[in-house]
Amino acid sequence: MICAGIDAGSRTIKVVLIDTESKRIIAKDIIDQGIEQSTLALELFENTLSKSGLKKQDVSFVVATGYGRNAIDFADTTITEITCHGVGVHHLVPDAMTIIDIGGQDSKLLRLDENGKVRDFVMNDRCAAGTGRFLEIVAQRLNVELDSIGKMAAKSKSPSPISSMCVVFAETEITGLLACGASRDDIAAGVQASIATRIAGMAGRRVMAPIVFTGGVALVPEMDNALKSALGHEITISPDPQTTGAFGAAILAARKLNGEHK
Amino acid sequence: MSKCCGNINEDAFKPDDPCNPPSHGCTGTNANTNNTADCPVTWFGNMIQNCYDYATDAKSKGKHIVGIMCEYTPRELIMAAGGIPVCLCGGSAEMIPPAEEYLPANLCPLIKSTYGYHVKKANPFLEMSELIVAETTCDGKKKMYELMSLTRNVHVLELPQKPDDEDAMSHWVSQLRDLKAKLEELFNIEITDEKIRQAIRTMNKERQLRRELAELMKSESPALTGRQLLDYKSIISGICADFQQYSKAIDMYKSKKIQSSETSPVRVLLTGVPVVHGAERVLDIIESSNGLVVAMDNCTGLKPILEDVDENADDPIVALAQKYFNLPCSVMTKNDRRMEVLRQMAQDYKPDCIIELIWQACITYDVESYLVKKLAEDELGIPYLRIETDYSPSDSARIGLRVEALFETVRERSTCK
Repeated sequence: MICAGIDAGSRTIKVVLIDTESKRIIAKDIIDQGIEQSTLALELFENTLSKSGLKKQDVSFVVATGYGRNAIDFADTTITEITCHGVGVHHLVPDAMTIIDIGGQDSKLLRLDENGKVRDFVMNDRCAAGTGRFLEIVAQRLNVELDSIGKMAAKSKSPSPISSMCVVFAETEITGLLACGASRDDIAAGVQASIATRIAGMAGRRVMAPIVFTGGVALVPEMDNALKSALGHEITISPDPQTTGAFGAAILAARKLNGEHK
Repeated sequence: MSKCCGNINEDAFKPDDPCNPPSHGCTGTNANTNNTADCPVTWFGNMIQNCYDYATDAKSKGKHIVGIMCEYTPRELIMAAGGIPVCLCGGSAEMIPPAEEYLPANLCPLIKSTYGYHVKKANPFLEMSELIVAETTCDGKKKMYELMSLTRNVHVLELPQKPDDEDAMSHWVSQLRDLKAKLEELFNIEITDEKIRQAIRTMNKERQLRRELAELMKSESPALTGRQLLDYKSIISGICADFQQYSKAIDMYKSKKIQSSETSPVRVLLTGVPVVHGAERVLDIIESSNGLVVAMDNCTGLKPILEDVDENADDPIVALAQKYFNLPCSVMTKNDRRMEVLRQMAQDYKPDCIIELIWQACITYDVESYLVKKLAEDELGIPYLRIETDYSPSDSARIGLRVEALFETVRERSTCK
């Protein structure tokens, strides 16, 4: 039997199909998010199935997660991305105690108990500082691709201080730094450090190693190092961090099917 | 006096009885009252209009409308002066932009909304008020009142902030005596001890009724929701018709048969800032995510009705001071009593988790949330979630996500036990 997890995030939609028994991944795919997210999610789901020679009827249970989870009408149920990331990471990195998930519009920090269940969590409020969107805006402002931010940051000898707690103001700060002749490398490093500092502030004293980094921003080079210096702990990047939430959703779908939970 | 509200006969009331409203309420002469009298839900659903009718009528009969801003203000003193105390706390998001023309944006929405009503002259109760009794429960409010007092009659009660200091109570008593003198002078009336005692009896009756309603939530499957319970209150205290409806509501819910639902809701203790009329969004999000707010320790919940005032004290002002000074507001340092109250509520109402609501820029509750979280997790052993927001609905989806995730955590825990 096959189960599916769909993670409708703010920037991309992810799908993961797993074998219910072995929890092995059969297929996974990602597309960009758009206005018609329910149609986009359905197309992604159907395309992923057909590439694997499968039909919708072959999938026994679908769990939707992510901020757009309630728009996924072909899902059997919805579960928040907080629980899904917890389950996904615990399955991939069983001894994980803390999860940092940075996505397009959210950053979250989860603490797990020794059984891998979510003990508590914090997430950013209305502001997008400390999220992937912040990095996108900065890349745009520096006129580089998002992927280059990390490489540039790696070259920096003295990261520019970016203290603003608001994306809009941070952008103004960057304009000021550019005007003062700061290098783009230093600014890129400064932005990464500022995101990491925000996460560390959010974490308070609740960080316990091992720490696993998940969500799309974990793919940005050097972000893990920025977090490492802000938190003072080694950071493990979740295997394929962008689909970890969808993977967790698929595992939860399998559990639902097996009646492990209400 | 206290039994007046169980009695529909108009003749049973004395003219000066604060529980005897000027025209409608117990009298049954008002058509509107007749239509809704049998249904407490409809009655309190129409609460603002009821209060408006009541206040307009009272004013036309020479009574004085007095605005209040905080639960520390003893309504009894105002009632004993022949006044009608009306709560003026703003709960409207629309009133915030006009306030921000004068006040900093980074201020709590309750203060801004209240002030917005002031500048727009949009709260009829504020416009009717001859006096506003304010208090020093936070720096933001304190300074806002200064601006308000440029054009309105504002009397500020200075609240001692170290509850355990020896001179704290005597200072508070003298503040209440000053308020009494102010009211006597303004309304040209003598406030006798007997009048205060009469008002105390009325307020005790009201507190007792509201407490009885709130205690229905102790049940394993309560007959009403937290939101329904929240709606059983009035911005004007001592309205006799309200008392009747409280009694009816208590009877109604006590006799209601409960159907057990498939998944029982997650029981929530909601703590933190007041959930004023119009700003119930977070409570609604919690209850639409299959949560049930079984208790609120805040100023719009149990906090002000936990204790009564001694009706037979030699000096009723001292009795009032003692009751009101005991309120566990985060302005107090240290505010150990709040933790005691929360401990007791956790025992009585058996919540599965604690959610703390903090209005943005409410510094005292925000800082104190550290201690509440510690209490919840380390001592009570239940999950804790802090929600900081304002009156605008733009973050509702994000709040919903947190609440849902919290409930998933709670349910996951209960399956492990």
